[in-house]
Amino acid sequence: MIIDINFIGLIIASIMASAVPLILASCGELITERSGVLNLGVEGMMIIGAISGFALMTVTGSLIIAIFGAMLAGVLISTIFAFLTQTLITNHVATGLALTIFGIGISAMIGKNFVGIPGKEFPVLFENLKDTIPLIGPILFGHSIVFYFAFTLPFITSYFLKKTKIGLIVRAVGDSPESASNQGINVRLVRYLCILYGGAMSGLAGAYLSMIYTPQWIENMTGGRGWIALALVVFSTWNPIKILIGAMIFGGLTIIQFHMQAIGVRIPVQFLTALPYIVTIIVLVVISRDSRKIRLSTPSSLGKSFHKDN
Amino acid sequence: MNTNLKISNVTKIYPGCVANDNVSLEFNSGKIYALLGENGAGKSTLVKILSGVIIPDEGEIYLNKNNLKLNSPLDAKKNDIGMVFQHFNLFETLSVFENLIIDSDEQRESLREKIDSIMKKYNFSIDLDIPVLNLSAGQKQKVEIIRCLIRNPKVLIMDEPTSVLTEQETSELFLSLKKFSEEGILIIYITHKLKEVMQLCDEVAVMRRGKLVSVSEIKNENIESLANKMVGQNLKTIKKKKAKTSSDQLIKITNLNFTSEDPFETNLMDINFSVNRGECLGIAGISGNGQSELFQVLSGEIISDKNCIEFNNNYIGDLDPQERREYLMAFSPEDRLEQAAIPQMKIFENVALNNFKSSNFFNNGLINENKIKEHSKKIISDFNVNTDNIELKSQFLSGGNLQKLIIGRELITSPDLLICFNPTWGLDVGAINYIHETLIKINEQNKSIILISTDTDELLKLSDKISVIHKGKLSKIMNAEEVTSEKLGILMGGVN
Repeated sequence: MIIDINFIGLIIASIMASAVPLILASCGELITERSGVLNLGVEGMMIIGAISGFALMTVTGSLIIAIFGAMLAGVLISTIFAFLTQTLITNHVATGLALTIFGIGISAMIGKNFVGIPGKEFPVLFENLKDTIPLIGPILFGHSIVFYFAFTLPFITSYFLKKTKIGLIVRAVGDSPESASNQGINVRLVRYLCILYGGAMSGLAGAYLSMIYTPQWIENMTGGRGWIALALVVFSTWNPIKILIGAMIFGGLTIIQFHMQAIGVRIPVQFLTALPYIVTIIVLVVISRDSRKIRLSTPSSLGKSFHKDN
Repeated sequence: MNTNLKISNVTKIYPGCVANDNVSLEFNSGKIYALLGENGAGKSTLVKILSGVIIPDEGEIYLNKNNLKLNSPLDAKKNDIGMVFQHFNLFETLSVFENLIIDSDEQRESLREKIDSIMKKYNFSIDLDIPVLNLSAGQKQKVEIIRCLIRNPKVLIMDEPTSVLTEQETSELFLSLKKFSEEGILIIYITHKLKEVMQLCDEVAVMRRGKLVSVSEIKNENIESLANKMVGQNLKTIKKKKAKTSSDQLIKITNLNFTSEDPFETNLMDINFSVNRGECLGIAGISGNGQSELFQVLSGEIISDKNCIEFNNNYIGDLDPQERREYLMAFSPEDRLEQAAIPQMKIFENVALNNFKSSNFFNNGLINENKIKEHSKKIISDFNVNTDNIELKSQFLSGGNLQKLIIGRELITSPDLLICFNPTWGLDVGAINYIHETLIKINEQNKSIILISTDTDELLKLSDKISVIHKGKLSKIMNAEEVTSEKLGILMGGVN
């Protein structure tokens, strides 16, 4: 059997494509969590992004409006979360769970009219370069702009947190909101912005699913990716580069187990479907074992409400 | 240039408590001012107002005749008022340099140069690129001070800075503060430690229950006069009567060893001592020499060989704390909020934790709330705990009141032996006096005490016999009258 080298390239590209929504949502949630806020509503924000993107695309016909509209929808729904947790000081976990349930419900309601409508084709970049280099060509070229954005995002996020003043402020707020407040930093504002940013990225991740990855609307189409994104943040110990690795492993195993099922490998299907979850977590736990580093990168105030008293 | 800071008629009222009642004060640079008062006297509120953390209900603040509006910590910083808080305002997981650059507008390189020159000038040595959580308390405080100095402050406020420092670090801090003062920085030093006021400051303002009681020069004061002003009554000088020599042995420790798996703990080696009825055995030492391990072995948190501990003719080395309580031992650990009480639980619930056999706190697995509450009220009135609300969460009690509650809880069973570890740590003079009186009373009732403490004065005052622990070994046991603090100091340093 001769394996076409470009076929391998295509498989790798499809693995990367399936990792895109995870990377986007995780990197967004990472910023939120680094500021000390635990938003368990990622799944809900993603699905809201997915339906908003698809609906706006169908109604307006504009891909740009659809993409930015999906991000805006993510921002709006995360504003509810921000208002509840930061202004009304509600519990992060309960509010986040409510947000997910709300998101899944409302997206199904809006989505009723969009079931079965075909999506639009999303333009890809550098399509003509795809066949110039074997193996590398299909991996690097012929993808949507969102794809390229997703694969630069972990590096941007890492640079932002380590090298910029605002990144430092985000980390400081997550480490000790009391100290930050006493230093004159507006903790509530920083946390609001981080939550909204996380919402925008989750919205974009959802839009990628419904507009680019599988261009159609299916109820509950995020299928737990929001939860995986959340798990990636924790198991990567809040490190954007490890999120990239984790998302690739997860995406890779998801694709490979499909192929294995198709070939007819004699392993129970349930085990194959569970494989990506198990392996991703094991790998991330193993590469993040250094307890000193965990202590340094874990936001100490994660999930704790901060109330400034005068 | 001279700096003049004036506080005029400042009032801050919290529900149920007037934290600052019409306080007016004036400070001039070139001097070190002490702001003295017991816990809860309103000192911290006043300096938090000066640093913009708390906004006063009434009153004005003037710096060099300019009326300051301090609505946030940022305003205070902009007006050259620097403050080092009692609980550090540092970001533990960020590096020292990141902690310093976060509120500075300068470029990385120029800030680094500035920090280097400050460290050189005052002889600080701190690695700027390691995370703050790897620093000692003294180093963390230096980082806080550097953070203030970067902004060339006119006023530097230190809120109880020595509560976390060792003696060495304290004397280093005092040298630096004197140097800052010579350079024209106005220094306000908040404390309840009288010795430090006498050592360091030029003028002292005393606060009590939110009010300013007096302002005077240090040279006109002495420790007793300041203590009386601070507490508001004439403190009795406590003197222990010599115990009746009793030869009735209560507890005997024989060849006790403890080897820890944790490299940060101290191993105990060949501990031998005995305590007679009505006696107080003091165990001195610099903290970290095995006191905490010794306390845990004695209280049963660490279980040892059965025969190592003989109490009242029973061998109890293998019993846990609850079982030891049944034999009439009682314990007051060092860390009041972590070990002795549960901060989020109410006072009466904490009382119920000491569930001794005759208490009847629980009937058939159900909580007998009335019984516990009745019992808690008795403790509160017998031991002078300053609250009448037994539903209060214990984290809201001041250190002194919490310590009284804990000792009260332990003593209500009238135990034969009380083992306490730094019982007056972090308390103000009034509370310390009360605890000391209580401990003396226990001895007078022919009950015994093992007092593990790092405070030499306290040990000399209360003990009948004293031993020193150094690197997990006990020195020979001496009669308290034959011991001086110099001699203890030498033994604590490990010289035999």
